[in-house]
Amino acid sequence: MVVVWKDLLVERRSKETLNALFFFGLLLLFVFQFALGPDRERLAGTLPGLLWLGFILSGLLGLGRTFVAERENDCLEGLLLAPGDKSAIYVGKLAGNLLLMLVIETILLVLFSFFFNLDIVGALPALSIVIALGTVALAAVGTLFSAMTAQVRARELLFPVLLLPVEAPVLLATVKATEAVLLGEPLGSVAHWLKLLAAADVVYVAVGVLTFDFVLEA
Amino acid sequence: MPDNWGFVIAAYGLAAIVLIAYWRFLFRREKELDDARTVRQHLSQESGASEPLPAQTAQRGPLP
Amino acid sequence: MRRLLGGATLLGLAAGLVMGFVVAPRESTQGNVQRIMYLHVPSVWVAYLAFGVVLVASIVYLVRRAEAADQLAHASAEVGVLFTGLTIATGSIWGKPTWGTWWTWDARLTSVSILFVMYLGYLLLRGMIDDRERGARFAAVLGIVAAFNIPLVHFSVYWWRTLHQPPSLMKPGPGTMPGVIVAALLVNFAAFTLLYVYFVAKRARLLRLEAEAEA
Repeated sequence: MVVVWKDLLVERRSKETLNALFFFGLLLLFVFQFALGPDRERLAGTLPGLLWLGFILSGLLGLGRTFVAERENDCLEGLLLAPGDKSAIYVGKLAGNLLLMLVIETILLVLFSFFFNLDIVGALPALSIVIALGTVALAAVGTLFSAMTAQVRARELLFPVLLLPVEAPVLLATVKATEAVLLGEPLGSVAHWLKLLAAADVVYVAVGVLTFDFVLEA
Repeated sequence: MPDNWGFVIAAYGLAAIVLIAYWRFLFRREKELDDARTVRQHLSQESGASEPLPAQTAQRGPLP
Repeated sequence: MRRLLGGATLLGLAAGLVMGFVVAPRESTQGNVQRIMYLHVPSVWVAYLAFGVVLVASIVYLVRRAEAADQLAHASAEVGVLFTGLTIATGSIWGKPTWGTWWTWDARLTSVSILFVMYLGYLLLRGMIDDRERGARFAAVLGIVAAFNIPLVHFSVYWWRTLHQPPSLMKPGPGTMPGVIVAALLVNFAAFTLLYVYFVAKRARLLRLEAEAEA
């Protein structure tokens, strides 16, 4: 019940977040284009990396705001004092964040394929798997760290500083896998990367569920 | 291959500097905290020792 | 007791130096630059040891709320970051004459750098939380996440650097090293481990004294 309530709360908040993140994604595209210049070849080579850079940067913004509503409305205390299993809150927030991230990533993917003339239709099923696996890893840790940094000074600085190193292997794996998929290679060729991502997903969600109680203690 | 002793010395030198600096930081801080703790202990001893006196003078009051 | 430890540490370090410079021979392919490995490899070992201790201490703290566990985690993380930094620096200094460049994104340097930044973040988190109890709790959670991330970092970076790439950038593996070099490494391992224990014991004591002072 609490989880569903959390989700609804998240949906209401996410409309403004969604709009802002959409524009952010658009801006990122321009920035990438300007930074890498008009050289089409060079750009094409880095597209998988740029795509995930876009995902991660949007994620930093979107995930960092997980508990902003609670903080701004002074509900954080209420959350801390609520009795019962706090892990349900984590799962609820995680689900909301996953949804948010997947929507943003879909938009970014569409924008990317449009602006950089990328043919993704053939690779779409495989790409979806890679994106899903990577996003779970991002959101799982992001939700946990967001809860932590919400109660700390300099939270906007600390959140990326904590999240990025932890997500480094996920970034490596997803970019490599995306690269292969976009080149038309079968998923089997990057099975090791996918297994790594799956392992990361399991570990991060498990740790999140097990430790969230400690993060939201009064 | 040339011996590059310069690099070897640089590496060991750097390690020595860093480790010794950290050791000195630990040493100095420990001395600070130990001294502060001894001061605290003396203060609490003094305040503990001064308590019986008012009771004694109060007892001597009505006698003379 | 601590005097004994300190003395043993000094002895160990001296022995390590002797082994590394006097007993061990000049390496055939790299020359004397290889002697930096007697610093670099034990440093990595200590770093991993330190972060392993952080993991265990963090779990113990969350389960039992023993302040000593929190102090151990904090101290071990600090010493771990110190040795990680040392690993990167010595690795870089070794790399310049060997590979011709100060920095290279090879498997070891890259994964150790990620480690460095992760646990630096751990120390940063601790520094930014004023509430002692909350700081301990959050740091413990972070310590656990970071530790579980270590194998992920390892595999991902290793695959990133070696698959589809000739392993010409890899350092010589331990399997083919002559016995004297292995012996020198082991002595330095022991010495550095003693140093780690000495540092952590002192640092944890400092944290305890600081906590007492605040009470």
